[in-house]
Amino acid sequence: MKKKLTLLLALCLVCTGVFAGCGSKEEKAEAPQTIDDIEGEEAEAPAEEAGEAALADAQEMVFVLNNEPDTIDPTITNNSFATPFLINCFEGLVTYDENGEVVPGNAESWECNDDLTVYTFHLRDGLKWSDGSPLTANDYVYSALRVLDPATGAQYVNMISDYVVNGTEYYAGTASAEEVGIKALDDLTLEFTLVAPCPYFVDLVSMWVYFPVQEATVEANGDKWTASADTYIGNGPFKVTEIKMGESYVLEKNENYWDAENVTLDKLTYRYILDVSTALTAYENGEVDGVRTIPSSDMARLKAENAGVQTVGSYGTVYYDINCSKEPYDNPLVRKALCLAIDREALINNVAQLDAQPAFSFYAPGYVVDGKDLTEGRSDFGLSANADVEAAQAALAEAGYPNGEGFPTVQLSFYSDDNVKKIAEAIKEMWEQNLGIKVEVSSADWAVFYDAVQNGNYEVAAMGWSADYVNPMSFLPLLYTDDVTNNSFYSNPDYDAIVDQVKAEKDPSKFAELVKQADELVSADYPVLPLYYKSNNYLIKDYIQGVYMTSSSNLYFKNAKVLAK
Amino acid sequence: MENKWEMLESSNEEREKIWKKNRTFAGDVWFRFRHKPTAIAGLVIILLLLVFALAGPMFTDYSYSKQNLEVVNIPPLMKVFCAPDEDGYLYITQSLKVVWVNRDGTLGTQLKKVREDSASSMTIFDCNGKEVGLYYGKKPYVLADPNTRVLYSTEKIWNKSYILGTDSLGRDILTRLMYGTRVSLMVAFVAVLVNMIIGIIFGGISGYAGGMVDTVMMRIVDIISTIPLTLYVILIMVIMGSGLKSIIVALGTVYWVDMARVVRGQVLSLKGQEFVLAARTIGSSTKSILMQHLIPNAMGSILVTVTMLIPSAIFMEAFLGFLGIGLQPPLASLGTMCNDATENLRSCPHQLFIPALVICLIMFAFNFVGDGLRDALDPKLKK
Repeated sequence: MKKKLTLLLALCLVCTGVFAGCGSKEEKAEAPQTIDDIEGEEAEAPAEEAGEAALADAQEMVFVLNNEPDTIDPTITNNSFATPFLINCFEGLVTYDENGEVVPGNAESWECNDDLTVYTFHLRDGLKWSDGSPLTANDYVYSALRVLDPATGAQYVNMISDYVVNGTEYYAGTASAEEVGIKALDDLTLEFTLVAPCPYFVDLVSMWVYFPVQEATVEANGDKWTASADTYIGNGPFKVTEIKMGESYVLEKNENYWDAENVTLDKLTYRYILDVSTALTAYENGEVDGVRTIPSSDMARLKAENAGVQTVGSYGTVYYDINCSKEPYDNPLVRKALCLAIDREALINNVAQLDAQPAFSFYAPGYVVDGKDLTEGRSDFGLSANADVEAAQAALAEAGYPNGEGFPTVQLSFYSDDNVKKIAEAIKEMWEQNLGIKVEVSSADWAVFYDAVQNGNYEVAAMGWSADYVNPMSFLPLLYTDDVTNNSFYSNPDYDAIVDQVKAEKDPSKFAELVKQADELVSADYPVLPLYYKSNNYLIKDYIQGVYMTSSSNLYFKNAKVLAK
Repeated sequence: MENKWEMLESSNEEREKIWKKNRTFAGDVWFRFRHKPTAIAGLVIILLLLVFALAGPMFTDYSYSKQNLEVVNIPPLMKVFCAPDEDGYLYITQSLKVVWVNRDGTLGTQLKKVREDSASSMTIFDCNGKEVGLYYGKKPYVLADPNTRVLYSTEKIWNKSYILGTDSLGRDILTRLMYGTRVSLMVAFVAVLVNMIIGIIFGGISGYAGGMVDTVMMRIVDIISTIPLTLYVILIMVIMGSGLKSIIVALGTVYWVDMARVVRGQVLSLKGQEFVLAARTIGSSTKSILMQHLIPNAMGSILVTVTMLIPSAIFMEAFLGFLGIGLQPPLASLGTMCNDATENLRSCPHQLFIPALVICLIMFAFNFVGDGLRDALDPKLKK
């Protein structure tokens, strides 16, 4: 028996040897010598498509999402993972087109008074909910009041209460619903009265917290109205027809949408695959047509292969918060040293492997006035894309810690995420090498981490900010004294004064000038540790056209078309 | 005895003599143990891993946290292109950058990107004043002269700077592996210690005392074993902060329950036997009966249980590390190394494969040794 087995094995070996031999010979004969040889092997380029590409018969697509939202109720959540639903199942007064410009949504037109405190929106005639019932201005009033009701627990409540007359008072229970500055003058006219002039209010109402929700379904089903397809009623281009919790959501075209004739896609399935590399495998096997998140190490390869990587500049910055209220970080020189000791280019190219611009300020480029971005010609505040070790050490020495002697151990906190973790580890190493200080890193879940950051229980913390609406005013409060979003506890009366001016400025060019001033003033003080300006990436197959993403990372499927393969 | 056919003398002594070589119990066990090839292989692997983990870090130039961001995600075996001036090689990284490799296989720095030539799907890099083009129009990516479009010849060479390659932050995987193995073996050591001390004493007392004491003690064991270890670790981490200390404390508080059960069972079956009765009759104290008569007799199954529990403790630590509730970065354990590698799984599989292989090796080694010991200690298998 044993002998037979040995013989068999030997036979196998010989066989493989022979086959392998053949293989290598063939390879040698065909080994390409030039690039043209390689290109020649390629099949002929597909023939030029004549005119408009034909549409596929089945207008259906599957898109993979990688994180589940806490809720998909537009009045409650501020969670960006919910946007694929909010943006495509609902529509606000205004919306964005593929160029990132504000265009009419539910409102046909709007106007405001001269001191920018009263905005009037005229709704389109014949608006309907996805169940066919009519949608009126009163629905908008109902939704806004729902947001302002403390019992709702709306996470974005200050996006309404900070602006609308009596919003805060209503939230506190000292004003009645009639006194709140949101009124339906008739079924088609909606009026907002604001506490202060606000030139960017139209940008603001594009946020989903201003979207309408249907009173009937919310009152009948309470918090559970988002949990089932029948009760999740919206007014957007799509409606949810099937919900499998944690697995998939099926969206179908909403025939009652005002612009339904221009919506081509019939069925959009959101599939949840939490692991990004698994999602990528599904994408490359053709099981799905798009993926929201791309693993960073595969980015370069996918880009080179023209696999459908879409990069959208995002109006946001990735930075680290430095706790400016704590010793020794209250010293601008210490913060300067920390900022200088970081090699941003290495972080972007080798660690995060992104297509991003190094950041020297918390304020990201993306807001354009008179064809010029506000950040054009801005100073670099003494920072550079690479680490400036000498200057960093000099700044630290000037602060009283020559060669990092006597400097306390830096506690660097971050939240659980692969990429954030890599960057935090790299920064730890850079500081230890370049400044000679000790750094301890620790991670926690986002909820725990963010709670600690908001309460000031940290020294340096990984953070980032994406603008909720395209206006510098979504950035400037980040460093405004005692603002809720001011997690670095920075305070500078001069800066506060400029921001107050910015808030009330109507003239665009003066507004731009003031924003620049504020930025230059505060960034020279290094209140945060800017790393890079965000860009958003997602994957979509080339036979799907018309999907677009705005700089506030909202993905629109309204114009999506599936071309015949 | 020149003549084999001669009659043997038949004396009483000859008849009573034990002809077989006389061996002590330990010698007997060792004899059977070393005749089992898998057991010996396991033992050798454990010893090698010990040397690797304890003495290894003395021989590397890197520390577990030293990063070199120029050379991230480099595999141990590189497919390289000969540089145009034949002075060295060029390697294409997974993020489509080009790294200089010296003739002897040590790594240099990244080449500077000159420009992007998207018309011919090439990125042009500067290599000591000469231009080289990275062609990405078709897989596999190649390096060629941008003007003549002639490919550079390829070779496969071993990475001499980082023998097992680098991870996503340019750290030496070999060095991290040594520290990771060290953590695993330390966990194994703690598991043994806890089992040997708490497990044996608790089980022994429970079994020997019997009655009400036994019932209460065993219910405590039941309660401890019903709470999942992951939960313990998370709870302990809330109090003590995350790190190896918390894992060791968690293992220490609960890992002895299996041992306690085994010892109790053994003691229960032994305590009714005559030698215990004899010891009690001559007035031995409970302590000496337990320690000198019962435990040594149960040593066989105790040793086997210990060697079988070690791999599960090591695996537990790796598992917790993989879930991200183990060590804090940049400390390395085999589990956290695997966890870090999963994100890069498609482009750099070696990062996952290497620590996973070491986990396998450790588990195999301890299981083989445990198996061998069980057979060796079982007198019924005596040949």
